[in-house]
Amino acid sequence: MPVDPERRAELRGQFEEFARARDPGVRDGLIEAHIGLAEYLARRFGNRGEPLDDLVQVASIGLVKAVDRFDPERAVEFSTYATHTIVGELKRHFRDKGWAVRAPRRMQELYLRIGKIVSTASQELGRSPTVAEIAKEAEVTEEEVLEALEAGQAYRFASLDSPGGGGGDDDEGEGMAAQLGQDEPGLADAERRATMDPLLATLPEREQMILRLRFYDDLTQSEIAERLGISQMHVSRLLSRSLAKLRNQADTAGG
Amino acid sequence: MSDGGNPPAGRVTTVPEVHLALPATPEFVRLARVTATGLASRAGFSIDEVEDLRLAIDELCFTLIGTKGREGRLELRYRLDGSALEVHGSLDSPDTDVPHLSDWSDQILDALVDEHEVGRTSGADGNGVRGFRMLKRAG
Repeated sequence: MPVDPERRAELRGQFEEFARARDPGVRDGLIEAHIGLAEYLARRFGNRGEPLDDLVQVASIGLVKAVDRFDPERAVEFSTYATHTIVGELKRHFRDKGWAVRAPRRMQELYLRIGKIVSTASQELGRSPTVAEIAKEAEVTEEEVLEALEAGQAYRFASLDSPGGGGGDDDEGEGMAAQLGQDEPGLADAERRATMDPLLATLPEREQMILRLRFYDDLTQSEIAERLGISQMHVSRLLSRSLAKLRNQADTAGG
Repeated sequence: MSDGGNPPAGRVTTVPEVHLALPATPEFVRLARVTATGLASRAGFSIDEVEDLRLAIDELCFTLIGTKGREGRLELRYRLDGSALEVHGSLDSPDTDVPHLSDWSDQILDALVDEHEVGRTSGADGNGVRGFRMLKRAG
């Protein structure tokens, strides 16, 4: 965190230059100059069961966004602005993996292990494995498998506290949308879609897409996972989260 | 391959049936899910089917209790018959409004389970009993 006034003025000049010309070299310099802030904030979020390296990565993404979006014309210090963006990114990370702050570590590990087993077994068997098969492979009881699935869902009530919709910062979702190309209508049930679409539109792109694939196009969770290149358990988490958000909305709308 | 969840022949043959009565509030829906998935795994459900079942139980329970919960109890009866799991839910609550299954929930449930219905019947004491029934088969 640069405190020396001369250095600060220099950086301010660079921000103005970057705002004008968007020069990648200047951008790199600005990121480099503030990486300490990202590291500092990442450490503040340490000791919650996530490796510090991962948190520094997440914080750095926040820093890059802050550099790209910072408007030097505004009467706010970059460090203030960046702190806000980086902390937002870190919080989002924990929210997305919400179980990390709630579930016991053993269950987190089992949950991750099950995710891998499900992917491998689905490929080998050509179908979704049973709970018994997963338990055998993971060398745990069926109850433990089910408990781990529940742990994966524990983020749910946490995620309801956060502002719904996810806002426009869901870059991953946009990327995935682009990767999939246009989403073609599955069922010809146009009338039904007309009722649902305004509801769906309140969710982030990625969640909308997964809901459509599951409930309009009737793909299984495994098929969606394969199509989007994410794990089946990630699909499952996103589905429960989206449905919970929609329920919440219907409720507050007085439904 | 799966050796299924059914007890070997020659043992007790009572159809597994489980009753659960919970406060009608969101934090207890977890128990409704866990009970359902515990039985489903005995019936040899695949992980996809188990996950769908979890979503369905959520959707149905929250339809009855609302996202904030209600006074009263949510009663669930689970019945495992071969590879099919049937769940009846009913809400015993002084609140009088009728549960409403939105088109959206209806469509979701169509995709998640084999059979479902939500409605209101007259209870013994004349109060409306609000409830659901769902059935999901393995495979």
